[in-house]
Amino acid sequence: MTTPPKHTSKPKTYIYFSRFLIAAFVIIVLLSTMLRRIPTVQASPQIQATSTPSPQATPTFDLQRLEKPVVASDNTEQLKKGSIVYWGICMACHGDRGQGLTEEWKDAFGKEDRNCWSVGCHGYDHPPQGFLIPKDKVIPAVAGMGKLTRFQNAQDLHDFILANMPWWSPGKLTNEESWQVTAYILSLQKVMPTKFELSETNASAIRTQSAVPQPTNDRPALLILTGILTLAGIGLIAQDLRKNKIRFPERPNFFHHLHPPTIPALQARLRYTLGAGGLAVFLCLVLLVTGILEMFYYIPVPEHAAVSIEVITSLVPFGALIRNLHFWSAQALMVVMSIHLLRVVLTGAYARHRRLNYLIGLGMFILVALLDFTGYVLRWDEGIRWALIVGTNLLKTIPWVGNSLYQLAVGGPEPSLSSLERFYTWHIFVLTLGMIILAGWHIFRVRRDGGIAVPAPLQRKDSTRISRFDLVGREVLVMVLAGITLLFVSTLFPAPIERPITQASIDIYNARAPWFFLWVQQLLKLGDPFLWGVAFPTLFLVLLAILPYLLPQTNENENGQWFPRGNRLAQILVIILGLTLIILTLLAILPTTQL
Amino acid sequence: MKHLSRRDFLKLCTNSLLALTGALGVGGLIRYLGYQFDPPPPSEFDIGPAMNYPLNSRTILAHIPAILIHDKKGLRAISLACTHLGCTIEQRNFGFECPCHSSRYDINGKILKGPANRDLQKLRVAELEDGNLHLFTN
Repeated sequence: MTTPPKHTSKPKTYIYFSRFLIAAFVIIVLLSTMLRRIPTVQASPQIQATSTPSPQATPTFDLQRLEKPVVASDNTEQLKKGSIVYWGICMACHGDRGQGLTEEWKDAFGKEDRNCWSVGCHGYDHPPQGFLIPKDKVIPAVAGMGKLTRFQNAQDLHDFILANMPWWSPGKLTNEESWQVTAYILSLQKVMPTKFELSETNASAIRTQSAVPQPTNDRPALLILTGILTLAGIGLIAQDLRKNKIRFPERPNFFHHLHPPTIPALQARLRYTLGAGGLAVFLCLVLLVTGILEMFYYIPVPEHAAVSIEVITSLVPFGALIRNLHFWSAQALMVVMSIHLLRVVLTGAYARHRRLNYLIGLGMFILVALLDFTGYVLRWDEGIRWALIVGTNLLKTIPWVGNSLYQLAVGGPEPSLSSLERFYTWHIFVLTLGMIILAGWHIFRVRRDGGIAVPAPLQRKDSTRISRFDLVGREVLVMVLAGITLLFVSTLFPAPIERPITQASIDIYNARAPWFFLWVQQLLKLGDPFLWGVAFPTLFLVLLAILPYLLPQTNENENGQWFPRGNRLAQILVIILGLTLIILTLLAILPTTQL
Repeated sequence: MKHLSRRDFLKLCTNSLLALTGALGVGGLIRYLGYQFDPPPPSEFDIGPAMNYPLNSRTILAHIPAILIHDKKGLRAISLACTHLGCTIEQRNFGFECPCHSSRYDINGKILKGPANRDLQKLRVAELEDGNLHLFTN
């Protein structure tokens, strides 16, 4: 397999030429597939006016108009069922086009059915099976220009129908039937996107007064993307990365600081590092990018926050992907950081000059917990209501400074407009900026402290070193693999969202804390909120922070191995802390699963 | 030229796949950012019955913005959006002037002085069945 040297220059030009061809191809693909115009639902400027007089009233039943309505076969089951419910229950009064009980609509019925009030079925002496329609009551139109104005969106309409319709027997419709009817009415109103299943998690995004652009199905594009990335990952694995020759710019920069010409192979050994630190950096980058993208659509105002999230997840092309990526990266970051912390303590790597970096890492842990909590609150839906109230009220219990801290976080006497704005600013700016600074400092210190803790050169069993090319290659590989996993998870499992918090919010709610604070929720059941909700978690942090200062540490020649003898006490302490958290979390979950 | 080694081939494939992923990602990004949720602005305005606008009256309709002129030639409307960059123009004794870049138009919307290079847009006015005048901006 030795190539003659004279050939070396020719393949190069060939490669560049092919690259050019590929680039051209890619641009064509990009232009033709991705820049496709988003088809829009026809806005509904002129639905048939409600008062259109039928020139010649038919004397008997207009059977055609009383037929079961026809729904395009490619639409959702929900809409089809809705048309039947509407036909059976609503249409007699609200009309076949949603025009309400107009004279024109009454004419569609047989003569004998037009005098309902005089024969008594809907009059004041109605028989038991009949029901009363007061003569002065106008039966409103449910579709048409300027109709349904009292309802902002499909969620409002559904809630009203569920609570008040049918008029003669409110509450007769099930929740599901109400959604079906809502979907059908909105299709009469010409604002319902096709192939769109209404539910509590997307109905607030569907307006009643103007149509939203028809959402497209992202899944095929997403699968293609994931597939291509997977192939690229296979390609990366198949290459022998160690022989890669990536050109670096002459002038050294921060990237060179992180990737010295060579590092000991021991420092890049997966079974020692678990790859957790690098993975955390990658997840932070994903969070940063997806977070910026979410900011383009998120509206930090109580009435709009949850609605804008529903818009992102159910209407914006690839919006669900972006949000799911952000959500799952945040969850994964919590786990990966915990693993990283455990690795550092259980290998005693935080000792001596590395203890500052250990504290920086701990600081990032706090920042990530706060970022997770503020990000969770930004949903501003029914799911976060109690976590928000409990979380902020906990601040109040802190002696002396509690009320000031509450002011700082909430910005008012109770969670409201200004608190959402504050949480937003904390989340996207202050905490994120702190995170960027600490993360940069942390990875800078890793190299400054001599890289990942391994034995001194003479005591190493394996003295091989790997090049920076190899290191970068491995990093790219891990990023691609993690990226594929994230893409898969984000395609399959949507991030949670519930109905927006409104004035008329109902009494169904989820009072469970986000999973990473379940242990605090469990502790809070024990009694005094300050003691268990603030002091106890702070004690955890203090214990972790004093490890490198007050407890015995490893010595230099114990570096680079799991469970060294030198810091046994610290290891035991951390394992106990970890187990406590896990048990508390399980306790918080178990009672409800037993029910 | 034919001697593309296995390594180079693999590398070429991998790199082009990564490039393709990036390109698709950029395409998706453009579509993500290109979404428009807000409804289009109204293009039809109900401006009330015609008798509100007597002969020889000039009425500014600030919310459109437009001016409704009723003279011997009948009812007509002119948009008050400057054809240069869209600021709302103001009335002067010679006609209209744009407060942003000082384009000038005469009383009938004809361009007098740049930087704008087009006359003001004429808008369609019609009396519909409901008895009211409707003004169309498209």
